[in-house]
Amino acid sequence: MAEMQCLVVTPEETAVDEMVTFVALPLFDGEKGVGVGHAPLIGRMGTGELRLTTTDGGIKRYFIDGGFVQIADNVISIMSNRAIPAAKLKVEEVQEQLKTAAEQKANSDELLDARDKAVATARAQLRVAERS
Amino acid sequence: MANARALDKRRKSVKNIRKITRTMELIATARFKKAMDRAASASAYTDRITNLVGDLTKTGLKVQHPLLEQRDETNRVVVLVLTSNRGLCGGYNGNVIRMANQRWDEVSSSSSDIPTAELEISGKRGLSAFKYRGITPHESYSHFEDKPRFDEVEVLADRYLEQYIAGDLDRLDVVYTQFQTAARQRATIETLLPLGSLESENDDAADAATGGDSTYEFVPSAESILEEVVPTSFKVKLFKCFLDAAVSEQIARMVAMKSATENAGDLIKQLSMTYNRARQSQITGEIMEIIGGVEALKG
Repeated sequence: MAEMQCLVVTPEETAVDEMVTFVALPLFDGEKGVGVGHAPLIGRMGTGELRLTTTDGGIKRYFIDGGFVQIADNVISIMSNRAIPAAKLKVEEVQEQLKTAAEQKANSDELLDARDKAVATARAQLRVAERS
Repeated sequence: MANARALDKRRKSVKNIRKITRTMELIATARFKKAMDRAASASAYTDRITNLVGDLTKTGLKVQHPLLEQRDETNRVVVLVLTSNRGLCGGYNGNVIRMANQRWDEVSSSSSDIPTAELEISGKRGLSAFKYRGITPHESYSHFEDKPRFDEVEVLADRYLEQYIAGDLDRLDVVYTQFQTAARQRATIETLLPLGSLESENDDAADAATGGDSTYEFVPSAESILEEVVPTSFKVKLFKCFLDAAVSEQIARMVAMKSATENAGDLIKQLSMTYNRARQSQITGEIMEIIGGVEALKG
C-alpha cells in the first residue's frame, strides 16, 4: 500500500513520526491536502488543524501553530512552534483563553497586532477543540 | 589522642552528608538524562530548519535579512547571562560568572565606544554574584529551571527581535555554558544578534557539490519563507542556549556530587581509623590503670 512518512517536530520534541496515507495541513492561506507522491514543496504554515490518515485508516488530529512544511520524496516534515493533540484541547479552557485574549488592552499598533494574533490562535484552537 | 566520642560523632555527620550528596548525584543523573533528551529533540528541529534553509539557498536566492547584517554602529548592547538557580554544582556558575564579568567590564567601561550596555541575568546564582559586586542587572529571570520551555524562551526572543528591528538593540551577547560532549562543557560568549550567518552555509556547499538539485515549489514564495525562517532560527538558537545551560548544569552537579560522595567516603575511612586508634589507646590506658592498681595492692 502506498504510504508516506509524516514528521512533526517542535523545538521541544518530535511530536509525530508516523506512516500515513493522507495529510491535511493548514497553510498560511488555507488548508492543503497532501497525498502520496506529492511534488516537492516548501510552504509557510498557519494556525489550525493537522489531520493525518494513518495506514490503518485511523485519523489523528493536532493543533499546529505556524511554522513551515517541507515535502519531498514522500516525507512530510512539519516544523512548528507547537503541536497539541486535539484530544488534549478542552473546549472550556480554550474559550477561557479566547476571552482573556480578546480582553487584552491594545492601545498601540504592536499591542493591537499581538492581540489579533492571540485571538486568531485561540479561535483556531477552539475550532480544533470543538470538532473532537 | 583525640576524644573517641567526638570522632564518632563527626564520622556520623560525615556519613549523613554522604547520604545527601549521593542522593543529589542520583537526582542530577536522572535530570541530566531528561534534559539530554530535550536537547536531542531540539537539535532534530534545528537540523530540519538548517535543511530547509539549505534548500532555499539552492534556488539562488540571496540570503538577506536585517537580522543577518552587521551594523556599522553599536549603540546598545545587551549581555544575557545564563546561570543556575541552585548551587552545589562545582565550577559551573563560577566559570560563567567570571566570563560574564569580564565581558560586562569590557562593554560597560567608559573607554569602550558603546553608549549603553544592559545586563540581563537568568538564575539566582548569577543574580547574587553580581549583587555582591554591586552591579544591578536591568532584567532578571529566575523562572528558568532545569526544563526551560520554548514558550518562555520565545517571550524573551520576541522582545529582542522587536528591539533589534526597531533599532533599539544592536548586539546581543549570551554568556552560557555550551554543551559539547557529555564529558566537556565550556563557558562561552555567543553573539546571537546580529546572527551573522545562518548556520547552514557550510552544509550548502557540500550539498551543492553532490548535485542535490531539488526543485521545490514555494508557497507563497522563497523570499517570504526566508523572512520567517531567520527569526525562527534565532529563537531556536536562543532556546538551544537555555537547553545547553540546563544540561551542563546537571552534568556539573552530577560530577561535583560524585566527587563529594567519594571524598566523604575517604574521610569516613580516615576518621574510622583514628577513631579505632583512639578507642584502642583508651582501652590500653584503662588496662594499664587496672594492672597498676593490682600491682600496687600486691605490694
